[in-house]
Order: sequence, then C-alpha cells, then structure tokens
Amino acid sequence: MKPFQYATATSAASARELIGDNGAYLAGGNDLLGLMKEQILNPAILVNVKSLPGFGAIQPGWKVWTLGGGVTIADLEDNAELAKLFPGVQQAAAEVGSRQIRNLATLGGNLSQHSRCWYYRQRDVLCLKKGGDTCYARHGENKYHSLFTGNTCISPLVSNLAVALAALSATAIIQRGTQQLPVSIPELYAKAWDNPTAHNSLQPGDLISQVDIPVQGRRSAYLQVSEKAAFDWALVSCAAAGRIEAGKISHASVVLGAVSPIPYESAAVHRFLEGKTLDEETAGKAADLILEGAHAQAHNGYKVAIVRALVRRTLMQLTA
Amino acid sequence: MPSWPEKRTYIGSHATRVDAPAKVTGAAKYASDMQPDGCLIGMILRSKWAKAKITKINLDKARKVPGIKVAVLRDGTAERTVRYYGEELAAVAGDSKQACMDALSLIEVEATELPFVVNVEEAREESAPKVWDDAPNVSKPRVKEQGQVDKAFGDCTAVVEGFFTTPVQIHQPLETHGNTISWKDDGVTCWASTQGISSVREGLAGNLQLPQSKVRVISEFMGGGFGSKLGFGVEGGLAAVLSREAKAPVRLMLTRFDESLAVGNRPSTYQKIKLGASADGKLLAYELENYGTAGIGAGGATEGGSGGVEIPAPYIYHVPNTRARQYSVAVDAGSSRAFRAPSHPPASFGMESIMDELAVKLNMDPVELRLKNDPSEVRQREFQLGAERFGWKQKYKKPGSSTGPIKTGVGCAGAQWGGGGRGTKAEAVVNPDGSIEVRCGTQDLGTGTKTVIAVIAADLLGLKPEQITVRIGDTQYPPSGGSGGSTTAASVSPAIYDVCTKALEEVQKQSGIADARGANWAAACKKLGVNPVVVQGEWQKGLSSSGVGGVQFAEVEVDTDTGFVKVKKITCVQDGGLIVSKLTAESQANGGIIMGMGYALYEERVMDKQTGVMLNPNFETYKLPGLADMPEFDVVFLEMPERGVIGIGEPVTIPTAAAIANAVANAIGVRVSSLPITPQKVLAALGKDKLSA
Repeated sequence: MKPFQYATATSAASARELIGDNGAYLAGGNDLLGLMKEQILNPAILVNVKSLPGFGAIQPGWKVWTLGGGVTIADLEDNAELAKLFPGVQQAAAEVGSRQIRNLATLGGNLSQHSRCWYYRQRDVLCLKKGGDTCYARHGENKYHSLFTGNTCISPLVSNLAVALAALSATAIIQRGTQQLPVSIPELYAKAWDNPTAHNSLQPGDLISQVDIPVQGRRSAYLQVSEKAAFDWALVSCAAAGRIEAGKISHASVVLGAVSPIPYESAAVHRFLEGKTLDEETAGKAADLILEGAHAQAHNGYKVAIVRALVRRTLMQLTA
Repeated sequence: MPSWPEKRTYIGSHATRVDAPAKVTGAAKYASDMQPDGCLIGMILRSKWAKAKITKINLDKARKVPGIKVAVLRDGTAERTVRYYGEELAAVAGDSKQACMDALSLIEVEATELPFVVNVEEAREESAPKVWDDAPNVSKPRVKEQGQVDKAFGDCTAVVEGFFTTPVQIHQPLETHGNTISWKDDGVTCWASTQGISSVREGLAGNLQLPQSKVRVISEFMGGGFGSKLGFGVEGGLAAVLSREAKAPVRLMLTRFDESLAVGNRPSTYQKIKLGASADGKLLAYELENYGTAGIGAGGATEGGSGGVEIPAPYIYHVPNTRARQYSVAVDAGSSRAFRAPSHPPASFGMESIMDELAVKLNMDPVELRLKNDPSEVRQREFQLGAERFGWKQKYKKPGSSTGPIKTGVGCAGAQWGGGGRGTKAEAVVNPDGSIEVRCGTQDLGTGTKTVIAVIAADLLGLKPEQITVRIGDTQYPPSGGSGGSTTAASVSPAIYDVCTKALEEVQKQSGIADARGANWAAACKKLGVNPVVVQGEWQKGLSSSGVGGVQFAEVEVDTDTGFVKVKKITCVQDGGLIVSKLTAESQANGGIIMGMGYALYEERVMDKQTGVMLNPNFETYKLPGLADMPEFDVVFLEMPERGVIGIGEPVTIPTAAAIANAVANAIGVRVSSLPITPQKVLAALGKDKLSA
C-alpha cells in the first residue's frame, strides 16, 4: 500500500472538491482496501463519504424508493418493508459475503467493485484488465468466467445488487462534477461490455449518490449458486421481475450475473415472456432463449446448466 | 506392569479444556502475539518467477527505507536457481509492516527466466522442462506385487476400473508459520508456532552454529500445524539471522499469501485402479497405477522419497493378488510436507470409490461388501455399529433412484492408523501448600494436550483438574517428541501417569500419611516442610498402544440442476483405546470431519500453467468449509480402555472424503471421480456442462 491522504467530506460539494484527479471514495472500504493492498489502485487521497447527507438512508415512497449510495448491505437485508416490496433486492443483499462484510459494505461499493478474476487479483500477473496485453483466463483457468462478452477480457461482473436492481429497472444517480446524472443499470455497466479495462461506466471522480427503484407493482426474486453454502461468490446469479395477473406475466425481466461483464439480459427473452402464462415450460423456454449467443470457455460450460436452472427457478418464484 | 485406575473421575469425561478461559479471553499468547521490548517485524522477499537463475540482488534501496533496520539475503547469497513461484530470496526487518513492504518492493533482483512446468500431466511428457537439471521429472516406479494378479483377474466374476484424482491440498493453519526470535549474547529465545519445540531448537542451533544449550524454544500455544510445522523452516532461519544482525527481537510470521506457497501441502494423486471379485463379493485381484506431485520434492531427484506420493494399497481391504506401481512427478511448485494422516485420505478415496463401483456391479449392499473383505475385527464392529446409528438399511437405495432434481445419497468408508506412544519425560513439583506443577516439554498443537495432562494428574492424586498447573511448550522442561503421527497423547499420558504416581509415593513417604490423595492431600503436603517435592517420571510400557481403525458414513443432497452438494449428516465411529479427554477427542473428530469435507468438496491449489503462479493464495478462492456448510455430526468412540491411550487425531479425517464421494455417486447414479467435488464436476458427470442441452 502506498501512502495516502485522508479527508472527510460533509457535503456533495466538498466530496467533489477533495477527490482530485487521483482520489478514491471511502465508504465500506471492503473492495478498496484489497485493491490498495495489492497495489491495483494507489489513490493519493481517500475521501470518507460516510457522513454525506442522506447517503446512508433508505427512503420509501409511493412512486419510487430511494436507496442512498452509502446504505449498508446489511440494512438492505434487514429492511422488512423493502423485503415485501422488492424481495429480489433483499435476497441479493442477503447473499453478499458474510454478515461481517454486509455490516460494512455499501450499495455504491457493491455496484462499483472491481472484477474478482484471479488473474486480475494476482499481484504478479499483468493481465489485459490491468493494462497488459493478454487475457490469461482465456487460455487458462476460467471456470469462474463469462459466457457472454463483447471484448477479449472474460472476467464477469460479480455484484449481486446490480443484477437485482437491473431486473427492477432501477436508476443510479451519479454525481459527476456538479451534475446529478441519472443512468440506468445497463448504462452503468455498458462500457465494461466492450472495454477490457473497464469494470463499469463510471469516470474518475464519479460517485453513486443514490439508487432509485420505481414502484411498479412487479414481483421480484433473486437466486444464486455458489460452491459453498454461504460467504462465497456466485457461480451464476439470476434476478427476475414481472407483474403476475391471472397467471400471466407482463413487464417481465430476467437478468443474469457472473456470466458477463454486465448484468446480462436479453430483449428477446422479455418479448417472449410478455403476456405468457408463467409455468415451468415457459420458464424453461426463456432459459434456452437467454443462452442464445453464449460462448463457453474450456472450463465454464457447466455454468450453462446453472443458468437454465436459475432462470427457471427464479421465474417460478414470481408465481409463488 | 502399571495400569490405568479402574475408577476414573476426570479421565474419559467431558471436563472443560483447562486453557479454555485463556483462549477465549485472549490471555493465551501465541508466537504471533509476542512483543518483546524493541521487537521488529520481519518479512520475506519471494521469487516472482516459477523458475529463474538469480544472479544479483541489491538490498541498498531497501536498507534506506525509513524504519528498516536490516536486510539480509537467504543463506547470505543472491545466486541460486529458484524452482517455484514464492521461493524465499531475502528478508528485511523494520519497525512496521508497512516499512517492510515498502522495502521489499524496492529490492532489485536480476534474474534470467527459465522454462518451467507446473502441470503434472505436462511434466510427465518427454519434452517438458526439467525441474531438476540432473534428474528426470518422473521418478522410477515403486512396484509391489503379490500373488498372481493377471491370472486372478481371469477368475473374477466382476471386474471394475476407475481413474481417481485428488488435488494438492494446503494445510492452511489459522496461525501461519513463523517465530518471534530474540538473539542476545547470552542466548537465543525463540517463540515458535511449532509442533516440535525440540526439533526447532535443533534446527535453530544447527543452522546458526550455536550450542543447543544457548537456545530456548517456547510454544505454549499454537494455532494449528497439521504436519507442516515440524521443523524450523527457511522463515525461521531468516528470522534468526535478522535478529542477530539487528541486535533486536524480530517477529516474522508468514502472510496468508506466503503460507499458501512455500510451507507444505498434501501431494496430488492420479490413481488408475482395477478391482475384481468373485460372484459372492470376495475380492480376488487388485491393480493400481498411481502418480502425483509433491512439487519440487518429487520426481527423479528424490525418487519420490520426500514426496510422499505413494499411497498404501489396496488400503484397508484384503486382496490376495495385488500389484501397485507408483511414481512421483516433479513440478515447479512448493514441496509437500506431512499432512494429517499422510497418504491415507487419497488412498481411502481411491479404494473406497472402486469398492462402491464393485458393489453396484455385484448388486450388493456396499456395507455387506466391506464386511466380507475387511480383515479388521474392530472395523467390522464399527461398520455394523455405524450402519445401525446412521440408519443405513433405511437410507441406502439403488444409485440415482431418488426422485426429483434434488437427490439424496449415502456412502461409507473406513480408515486405519498407527498412533502409538514413545519416550517422554516429565517432572512434578509438589509444594508444601498443596499446589502442584506438572512440567513436560511437549507442545499442544490445539488438540488439548494440557487438558490431557491435567485430568490424568487430577485422577491419580484425587484432585480437580483446575488444581493442577500444567507447564508445557518449553525446551527447559523434560523432553518429549514432536507432535506428529497422532502420537502426543500416547507419548505424554504414560509419563504423566508415572510422574504423578511417583510424586504421590514421595508425598506419602515424607508425610507419613498412607493415602495422601483427595481430602488428605493438603494435610499431607503441609508436612513436607519448606522444600517442595520434585520428582521425575517417564513413559512406561503398558499404558498406551497403537493401531486403530475407524469408519464414517455420509448422507448428502445433490441438486442435479445446479451441481450443488450439501452434506446432511456424518456418522463417525472411531476406536481409540482409553479416551483420556472425551471433550477434546470429540473435538478432534469434528475437526477431522470438517477437514475431510474441505478435501471432498472445496479445497484445491490452482496453478496457472502460463505464468507458473498460484492463482488462489488466499481464503477467497482457496475455499475452506464454513459454518453454513456444516452437517449434523454424530461422533461415537468405540472405547477399549484395556488397550491404553492411542492417538486419534489423524484417523478421524481419513474416510470423510471417500464417504462423501460415495454418497454423491449413490445420489446421482454417476461417479465424480475427482476431488474436490464441485458443481462444475457434478454437472460434467451428469453430462450437463455443454451448451447444447
């Protein structure tokens, strides 16, 4: 770790001022500390944003719920009202790390965390994502890697919340300079689809100040499969949302995590599901459809089976 | 011949660990807690290359980092050929960890990269880079043969074959390897995280050419070793030199990254097995070809000698005609070390897997097949008792026959181990106020040795365990051996019996009280005058023995859509002679099962063949079992007090992985023949790992 300055921001304006050209925001610090210890990031200053006004608040609303960027994952896990209205978000939060991690980790940090690829995180390997010229995972150990990507790097997005929030058509509010910029979850990650060095579309100095979830009367669900029963990354995760009326689904959304550098969804799946009676057969067809365009590597073909199971099970949870 | 008392109050009980309060309050001090005055932190520079010729190492910039006191080369020289990623090159000591990390990053190393090989299959090829210049990567096979194998296979009604692989497993004790060393002119004190204080003293003194009389090694508490902490180690040698050069104490504990690379592992195995039996299930013929890697400590250079790739075959079952051909393969990776029941867990996995394949082929209950072929009368009883407790008859169904996507299955496996005792000395000091101190130069690697000593002394003197002050883990006490091979309890217990018996005799003689035990103890001690009674004792025959079996049963649930395996229950039946401390013995069994679960489902060293680095040198991707993965435990001991004390720390981890693997195969109807059994491998076995459905 390199020496750094430390400052506490008390307002959005002071945060913006303090961050400079080579600073990092500090909230939970879980990912940041690891990145600094491995010298993947060497920020000149850490700007503590934990006490920004409203940053740690969950604000319910009739039309929209607003989650501050500094809301802890544990707060998302524990909020009973949120669990009723947006169960997919609560379920995704409950699967993050361990309870100790969730107590500190924040929504903004979860959304903006870097790749967990074991080549990217290996201190003596300079991979494509770190600015080298080779994606070692492509010809190496890739059982945790992507089925869908628009570039040479095959490390996947691992944020649980990105997947659940994408299914619920949430909007992130980015503080960029003096602007408050609303971006959809797909937009928040679009850059990582075709740029191997990107983890998301954020620019230096950007801060995820809040996430808005529209209240649309949609049900939601989130499931993941890991190698261990808890405190493990998803091999595949899946979130689904939709309105269910008389057994038929509308405003459907199915999103996959840990199989692509973005929360992966397919417009064809959403079109296919619209107005269908949601049963095992329909859910199974949606799973087949979302896998169109998948490309398996030498060691991650098994993820295809998990995608099939999770799309089916997550969709069927909406009928429960 | 001495014998254990018939009436036992604390021996064999669930008496609380005597050091439990110290451990839960943090009062217990480990090597990593030691803070002698002026103590510096030490850290090691490691090779970034899997193989390289190092020609020059410049420490100048490192020495100039504020806070750095000394920087030294390993063995005083830069020039060496490094043969694996993570091999030690140099070390620094300074007043903070940050200063050390800064210094390490400024050390300039001139190196010529050399071709390397980290993959076992590649290392076996003729064209592969050689790990050692003067020897082939593949050792000469060790062949053991008895009977007429080829003829016997011809006589078999059923023959099954399989290929079973086990990964390189890392010890990963929660306290990493390391020492706090204080070098002074009048002698060196070393607080070591070790399984053998005497061997550390020998290593330290030899390494630095000091008389052993000037070296004191202390290890009152240590956070696990599992076989990897029996020697002084390169990190110990570097810490000692740093302390000598800095003229200050140095604490050098490995980081988790270091721990994963350079301080031992369990070798991998690749076992091709063929097994044949008659129609009634009598085993007739067995053939094994096995290879694996112990890293650089394997291959032709050592003839597999230090490698430990070789496994006992055909393990616990009697087969009249057998042939085993085994060899080790060197790769550019850290060397193996003894690891809790060396070579037995992979042996159990291979043999018990093929036994279940045979049972399926013969359409025979797997327990019945084992009873037919297991020569151990004790294990026969254990299989029967375990099957009853577990509900085997009700639970065992035809492989893959449970309905729905989530399938249940059961499996079983057996173990064998030695675990006898050997020479240990002890001393007892009885004070006129009735307090008593028992001293023994053994060490408690977490298994409960202090409690074992306290309950024995308490029962022999008619006192309570908390009245006994137990002193261990110091080379100033009478010597014992290293804690390896499940020998500690069987080595220490007889010496404690002897010294306490003698102390009692002496107190009775000096006090004139015929029975000084229990209620009379204080009064008897009061008559001793001013000086304490000091007596020595030693290990005696007849109070311990060796040789145990042990069986385990596993019940699992497998999600055939996602490949996820959940272990529901493990039943463990373990014979163990006289169980001295039931609480800590059960804890050993629980820990052994958990470690076996890690071997079965999660743990594996992953090497990258492009760069030669280890990809998972951390607990994020080197996966260990967690609380949420825990099954129901049912641990029962088959006690045989007449046999005396026998160690059980190792046998309890041997059959777990094999039982789980058999349960998974029973659940899904196809076998995952490679550990760890991950969702990836389960789905591959089910043919679900392809894009086309």
